[in-house]
Amino acid sequence: MDLAKKVLQGDEKSAARLISMIEDGGDEGHREISLLFSHTGKAHIIGVTGTPGAGKSTLISKLAVNFADKGKKVGIIAVDPTSPKDNGALLGDRLRMRDVEETKGVFIRSMASRGYPGGIAKASAGAVYVLEALGKEIIMVETVGAGQTEMQIYSLCNTIITILAPDYGDEIQLMKAGLLEIGDIVAINKADNVRAEDISAEIAVYIGKNKSKGWETPVLTVQAKEGGGIEKLVEAVNEHFVYLNKNTCGKDIKKEKLKTFMFALLKEELWNRALNTWAGNKRFDSIVKKLQKGEIDPYAAVRKALEINGL
Amino acid sequence: MEEYAMHEKRIKILIAKPGLDGHDRGAKVVSHALKEAGMEVIYSGLHKTIDQIVNIALQEDVDIIGLSIMTGAHIPIVEKLMKKMRDEDIIDKTVFVGGVIPAKDISKLKGLGVAGVFPGGTPLSEMIEFIKTHMKKA
Repeated sequence: MDLAKKVLQGDEKSAARLISMIEDGGDEGHREISLLFSHTGKAHIIGVTGTPGAGKSTLISKLAVNFADKGKKVGIIAVDPTSPKDNGALLGDRLRMRDVEETKGVFIRSMASRGYPGGIAKASAGAVYVLEALGKEIIMVETVGAGQTEMQIYSLCNTIITILAPDYGDEIQLMKAGLLEIGDIVAINKADNVRAEDISAEIAVYIGKNKSKGWETPVLTVQAKEGGGIEKLVEAVNEHFVYLNKNTCGKDIKKEKLKTFMFALLKEELWNRALNTWAGNKRFDSIVKKLQKGEIDPYAAVRKALEINGL
Repeated sequence: MEEYAMHEKRIKILIAKPGLDGHDRGAKVVSHALKEAGMEVIYSGLHKTIDQIVNIALQEDVDIIGLSIMTGAHIPIVEKLMKKMRDEDIIDKTVFVGGVIPAKDISKLKGLGVAGVFPGGTPLSEMIEFIKTHMKKA
């Protein structure tokens, strides 16, 4: 398999195939990724998060067109939620990025948030590395950021833009979700000027906590659909990238994020290996049966299950 | 529960509306049904060109391209699609066609390389069963 070589030569079909291989799990995908890894690390990885309906997809497509018009090669990874009920997914973000479909040189890949044997963190990391090796200088990752794993996708990103719509509801909810805290840039979408100032004042209290020195989170207003405020947003994004690369703080942040991300992958991998051990294991099945019959309590069940793994 | 089960490889399918056809209710109904059947579905939206459809299929590395055509132009559209798929080296992907398809055109479509034709009125369950069986063999 020389997918890695083809990807480095700019072959989109091979890149798409390799991303699928990583989604499917298995060693072959990993081996190819390792060949690509030394060619990564320079792209600007921009995470875009926010409450559902805030306008993430629209904003990403406007940003992508803006970057592409300036000659940058762009990749987009759009993560959509998978239904826990039927395990299927309707990957609809691409539909909302119509502008980008007309633009050459933009690679869009949609992903479902669960159900990848390796886990979504691993799948999205793989996709980011592949797109960078393919030659993309700017890679945007869109996700809802609801679950813990989705939060860990953000440690893959250099810059995170949090989008809010003025009717976002309870500020406390946002604090819990951590969406505001992780934003390096906050963009308020669909806001008329008066309301935007109110919101800026409200959220100024929440952002700036746990913030590293040297970067003050800007709060910008945009009208994503009409393309308003995009140029200022692009400026802020570029400024943040410069800050990360020129600053010691920035380098420390990068190191910390790499470690966080490794732990996210470890967590997924450990769980998958454990699942593999227990699948079809008669000892495991009998532990579950005992628990369900009330013969043992859940804590004892877990202790016994882990003994199967030697833990 | 999903996290506690081993995964079967999911089928990824693009439901596409080529050309000037503005009727998308069928495509949306099918998209939802396939999602409920456990597939990963990308709906292209209306008025896509063949180039755009093939581009999406390539980037998303879908297993299946499902064309929804209500205009009667299914034969020229499929001919164009197959040619573009060959040019982009993705002719190995499976193609299904649904919509307003007269029975007399079904064998012609299959001759062009279409794996399954689902004229309007085909029960969703039959479509899903066909797709799952076909993909197992592939």
